[in-house]
Amino acid sequence: MILFGGLFVLLLTLTLLLSTRSDAKTAEIYSGGKLLRTVELSQEQQFTVEYQGGYNTITVRDGKICVTEASCKNHQCIAYGAKSGGAPIICLPNRLLIRFCDRNAPDAIVG
Amino acid sequence: MKRCLLFLCVFLLLLSGCGKKQTYTDTPVFAMDTAMNLRIYADTDGAAATELSSTLQALEKTLSVTDSESTLSTLNRSGTVQNAELAYLLQTAQELSVRTNGALDVTVYPAVRLWGFTGQTYRVPSAEELAAVRKLIGSDKASVSGETVTLQKGTLLDFGALAKGYAADRCKALLEARGLCGVLSLGGNVQTVGDKPDGSPWSVGIQNPDDPSTYVAAVRVNGSAALVTSGDYQRYFEADGVRYCHIFDPATAAPVQSDLRSVTIVAQSGVLADGLSTALFVMGLERATAFWQSANDFEAVLIDTDGAIYATEGLEHALAECEFTVIRR
Repeated sequence: MILFGGLFVLLLTLTLLLSTRSDAKTAEIYSGGKLLRTVELSQEQQFTVEYQGGYNTITVRDGKICVTEASCKNHQCIAYGAKSGGAPIICLPNRLLIRFCDRNAPDAIVG
Repeated sequence: MKRCLLFLCVFLLLLSGCGKKQTYTDTPVFAMDTAMNLRIYADTDGAAATELSSTLQALEKTLSVTDSESTLSTLNRSGTVQNAELAYLLQTAQELSVRTNGALDVTVYPAVRLWGFTGQTYRVPSAEELAAVRKLIGSDKASVSGETVTLQKGTLLDFGALAKGYAADRCKALLEARGLCGVLSLGGNVQTVGDKPDGSPWSVGIQNPDDPSTYVAAVRVNGSAALVTSGDYQRYFEADGVRYCHIFDPATAAPVQSDLRSVTIVAQSGVLADGLSTALFVMGLERATAFWQSANDFEAVLIDTDGAIYATEGLEHALAECEFTVIRR
């Protein structure tokens, strides 16, 4: 009885640990409809994505991701600011999409 | 001891179920002047995503108001064109115009251009300019005969208020024909198709008008449904302290000054949800409430300028993650 009780507690702890780990935030970077890379938001980095002569510089810092420089005219992608979830960051002129992978997020966002 | 063993077996079974991943593929598509995402379950060879993507690109070639080579641009230039999709959409628009007492009107495009919303060259027109452009607006200024659409001189059509909803209907039919399910995000419009494989309802967040990177509520839906939001935060400009949004009141040929920040419609038909989200935003809270009370083919979530959320009673148990007031019949 005690053995099974102990096993149960162990399994429960393992489950909680695993679920916590899978909550780690990542973001997928798509260019022209193709997945370029997946980035961990916990790892600070900066890189530039080029697409048909245009570019977006992407910065990951303090658990958030943002576009810090872009060749597009309206700079709407920069105006999104630094984000760690919610609706994706989009640069229509450069066909850039930054999508958050969050298992607790809704299936889609309407708006 | 036996009971304990049984409990452990059930627990392990549940554990393995939790770990089972439902396989879907996300396919981003840039079409119809917006970014889209096609989340399709069990589309192992990607054939469904490819078919939907091609359909959306083809629709853009027909319905784009900014592409000078589109079928719609040809209609706006020449005044007449034969096209089944344009005929269907105009007929639908005219029905919705009558039903909403003119709150939705696809002939409002000359006013949209006058205010500079097409090229982001925003300006507030003079009273004379507005009076002149008002004469070009009215759903009676375009007609349908079979598959032929004809416009009166000076009339221009823009199906921006219906096109993505129509696209959602088309994509839903294609997925259903393949026996697949998924959730399609078509530039802010959402279409769920079929039941979610894990048995839970689809969860669709409603964008926060004050911070579009977050959501203020979540709608839980079972099976197929179209969800469309119209809001004043999506495209707008400010002049002399006044915010002018991209949604136009056909009666004034000017951007709506609404007591609402956003309207979300949940319906079976995408084109209906799309058209009504615009129309109810134009109506404002009181008229929109009365309109829903006399209808039976949609539900709505309304957010007013104070941030208060109202939901029609059909969504009373479907709306989550927020406080809201229920609108009853």
